[in-house]
Amino acid sequence: MSDAATGAPLVLKSTQFRKAREEGWRELEALVARAEKRGAASLGAEELERLPVLYRMTLSALSVARSIALDRNLLTYLEALSMRAYLVVYGPRVRQASAIGRYLARDLPRAVRRARWHFLIALAALLSGVAAGYLLMRANEDWFAALVPGALAGGRGPDSTAAELRNEEIFAPWPGVVESFGIMANYLFSHNSFVGILIFSLGIAAGLPSLMLLVYQGLTLGAFIALHAERGLLVDFLGWLSVHGVTELGAMLLFGAAGLLLAEKILFPDRMTRLESLAAQGRIAAQIAIGAVMMLFVAGMLEGGFRQLVQPTGWRFAIGGATAILWLGYYALAGRRRE
Amino acid sequence: MTAEISRHGRATEFLEGRAASRRRIAITTPEGVALFFDLADPGERLTAFFIDWVLWAVATVAIYFVFVFVVLGAFALSDKVGLAIAMSIMLFLAFAVRNLYFIHFELAWQGATPGKRMVGLRVIDRKGGPLSPTAIVARNLTREVEAFMPLSLLLSIGAVTGFWSHLSLVAWILLFSALPLLNRDRMRAGDLIAGTVVVALPRRMLLGDLVDSVVHYSFPERYLAAYGAFELQILEDLLRRPNAPDAAKVRREVCDKIRAKIAWTDTVADPDVERFLTDFYAAQRAYLEREQLYGKFRADKTEAAGFAGG
Repeated sequence: MSDAATGAPLVLKSTQFRKAREEGWRELEALVARAEKRGAASLGAEELERLPVLYRMTLSALSVARSIALDRNLLTYLEALSMRAYLVVYGPRVRQASAIGRYLARDLPRAVRRARWHFLIALAALLSGVAAGYLLMRANEDWFAALVPGALAGGRGPDSTAAELRNEEIFAPWPGVVESFGIMANYLFSHNSFVGILIFSLGIAAGLPSLMLLVYQGLTLGAFIALHAERGLLVDFLGWLSVHGVTELGAMLLFGAAGLLLAEKILFPDRMTRLESLAAQGRIAAQIAIGAVMMLFVAGMLEGGFRQLVQPTGWRFAIGGATAILWLGYYALAGRRRE
Repeated sequence: MTAEISRHGRATEFLEGRAASRRRIAITTPEGVALFFDLADPGERLTAFFIDWVLWAVATVAIYFVFVFVVLGAFALSDKVGLAIAMSIMLFLAFAVRNLYFIHFELAWQGATPGKRMVGLRVIDRKGGPLSPTAIVARNLTREVEAFMPLSLLLSIGAVTGFWSHLSLVAWILLFSALPLLNRDRMRAGDLIAGTVVVALPRRMLLGDLVDSVVHYSFPERYLAAYGAFELQILEDLLRRPNAPDAAKVRREVCDKIRAKIAWTDTVADPDVERFLTDFYAAQRAYLEREQLYGKFRADKTEAAGFAGG
């Protein structure tokens, strides 16, 4: 006896199903692979039309296969292909140029306006640092070494005379294009960005380190103010500082506000879960932080490049005042119109 | 949903050595089909980061050399000034490349960097929505604090002195590097802020169908009640890898086991083993798929025949 019958045809539903659709899957796979490699923009108009059609076909094939097929290779292939296609089809389809335009014209100022209370808290932290630094220095100038790190002091300190500060710092000659833009601006930008990102990111640790860093920045500033005030240079120093200081401190406060946005949702998640509300708020915070990095770039240019070029204190206040008005106007007014 | 995925999930775990505990997140597409993304392992993510870190370092050094030789050579600046400028621009470039590397690639390659692509990882939105540019920026800005700062501190650990400094440095590194292990979806701080997760997205090849329309052995239904989907898929794997070591020997053993199990009385000669197994696979799959259509899914041989599960 034998049950072996040579040449008997065997037709499976899953095999027929596969034969009818396989070509479409392969086509989709090629499109997805290209979109993953070179971005969805690399697909032609016709291919972009094909993509969602093929995707839906494959997705429906997946749900059919899940219920009729037992071919493991086929199932894992369809699962993986559907996932990759899903990410391409519903992935971001923004051109980088238009995204940047929309960010500057609308997203950034809106985000900053949403964080205005956080900004004010950051400002309070900074100002309390300034006040403390100032008062400590007025009481005893020996505090300077403790409040200002050596690299930042740059030889300035309780031993500096008014003439030294005036000639070597505030009204020092312009060092030239290479020195000022090439070295100072770069160094200042890298250093300040690093501190700023630190202030922002430490918002995750419930915001306390961010505030402490802002207070610390304030202490240093207050110590410098006191040092100059003691030597009758207060107005000239503030003018010298305002050229870049408005932009730079504004950026630091924005980093602080962004960090506090994160901290707020970690401490007080509202209706959503802590993770959900953190994710929603985190994107707004990141938008602010990027804006702050750009402001630091401007500040680096002003400080490294222009500060020593413009000597009269009146003009320096004019530049500082102009930057203050520009930034305030931008953040307060831009992007208010509805779409 | 989970019942459906487990129809090949168990065989996949068994054959590919994936831990059964590997976490998935389910995302339902707007078309109403659930897709199950495997979360990336910490080891995979560390590997990807290490590759990216090496690439970043190489790129920075390369840019630096190009800069020094081409730019400074062209302008013939004096050595001392030139070096100072080069150093400061170097600082700037290192910062820019470090921060833009990840942001650029995750934007351009839809959530993958070269390292992630090599390991087969992707960043996706936790809710399944589009991965927005702000999310990418948010998850990468924090890298400075999570990875680069502790790394550079670690490299200059000699410069840090004092018990408390060391303690806080170690605590810092532990806090941030252990964070992905402490939450269910393996998110690091940047992922928390951006609402993203990192998933493993391997490429799968579609291999040929094992079922020929022409069979030499035919198996009536009484022979096919012995096995379930799990055994079928293990047999599929055996047939799909003809070049594995010991393939011939293993096949002979499997063939004999099947014959014993289903009480197949005829002997099968060595050259016919593959034919026999292929045909048995086809017949078994035809049978199980038909039963499944009638609502009788059979997971494995221990399940009673005709069980209406699934």
